[in-house]
Amino acid sequence: MPAEELGPLPAGRHGYSREQVAHHQRERLIAGLAEAVAEKGYAAVTLSDIVRHAKVSRRVFYANFESKEQCFLAAFDVVVDHLRELIAEAAASESEWPQQAIAALRAVLAFLAEEPNLARLCLLESRIAGPVVIARFNEAVSEAAPALAKGRAERPEGERLPDSTEDSTLGSLISLAQREVAAGEAERLGALLPDFAELLLLPYLGPADAARLAR
Amino acid sequence: MRALPGRESRQPPGDQPVGREGAAADQRRRILEATAELISSQGYSETTMEEIVRRAKVGYATFYKHYPDREAAFLALLDAAIAHTTERVEGAYRREEGPWPDRMGAALGALFADVAAHPAAARCVLVEAVAAGAEAAAKHEAALKRLAKLMAPGRELNPRSDKLPESLEETLCGGVVWVLGQRLMAGEADKIRALLPETLEFLLRPYVGEQEAAREAGEAAEAISAA
Repeated sequence: MPAEELGPLPAGRHGYSREQVAHHQRERLIAGLAEAVAEKGYAAVTLSDIVRHAKVSRRVFYANFESKEQCFLAAFDVVVDHLRELIAEAAASESEWPQQAIAALRAVLAFLAEEPNLARLCLLESRIAGPVVIARFNEAVSEAAPALAKGRAERPEGERLPDSTEDSTLGSLISLAQREVAAGEAERLGALLPDFAELLLLPYLGPADAARLAR
Repeated sequence: MRALPGRESRQPPGDQPVGREGAAADQRRRILEATAELISSQGYSETTMEEIVRRAKVGYATFYKHYPDREAAFLALLDAAIAHTTERVEGAYRREEGPWPDRMGAALGALFADVAAHPAAARCVLVEAVAAGAEAAAKHEAALKRLAKLMAPGRELNPRSDKLPESLEETLCGGVVWVLGQRLMAGEADKIRALLPETLEFLLRPYVGEQEAAREAGEAAEAISAA
């Protein structure tokens, strides 16, 4: 949601309630931050960059956020909430675990491929945006672990998989996505679905079934 | 790292490096150590030049004599840390003469030991470098590819090796980087060694199958508890 698409806030008497204006301002700031981060990276982004992209005043920024980090956190949360919805929707469209997992992956990868700036924000910039954001990122990842662990029921050997299987599997997928995004190849993520799916299914279904279902 | 004296003295007393070359090398070491410690504790984006020179106990002029800016120091730190670690990992892999899973066990053991021994530098390489600009990300990528290269012979052990995803080795290594990075970010470098058996199992499973991977992990666990 680039700030330009939201258009300038109408001046004077516009019939919007104070709450509606405040909500718009917050959204504009979040979109402004996402644009500024895409332009120069989180480390280099200043408050002036954010308010310039959002086309609001610094006073409005401080009415909504205490700091650059807090604004980043809000943007990160918006993206993660959206991904959470996409995953839930995709999983609900299938009845079997392997297909649910593939559908969820497909939805996430398609979103990231279509929104390379947001992919960069949530996968790369979040790793250097301070301890609060890192903790939030880790929470979001650990939320996915129980859904993945359902795969353990797919075969008897699954019972004795190491405890860290979900962590290392999710980590390898995240790192694959991070590296594509870092190389400026986020658009390729959608096409990499078979690789992601095979790696995700592998510990639970074994190599042969994982390859068959993923490809 | 040896304890450094108070800020009034810019040159640590005793153990004084001999000659101009020695002094310059010592300055670079102090600058890189300070860079690693600050960036690993507060993040690349939050670390300023002022903090680095203060912690390294050098003047701005000395800093600029060695590095044009903060990024150059960070990149030099990545180069030094990656060279140090890959030498150990590849050395352990070469020295182990057993079959490939044993060689991977040795390589991974060396990696985990090195990361646990140098958590600040490791965090810079494994976590911060990914998002700290194109050059830093490229160094991270190159290091990961060197690790992934050690895994290529594993394909020969898998009957359907030609059907494995092309990105498998790099992706599995990415999983290892993730596991290490998570522990480093949680300040739990001391827990890294205990994760070796499970991580080895994760790495070997696609190549040698579940049973063999679990057996190798069991051997690694025994070796750790015996040590």
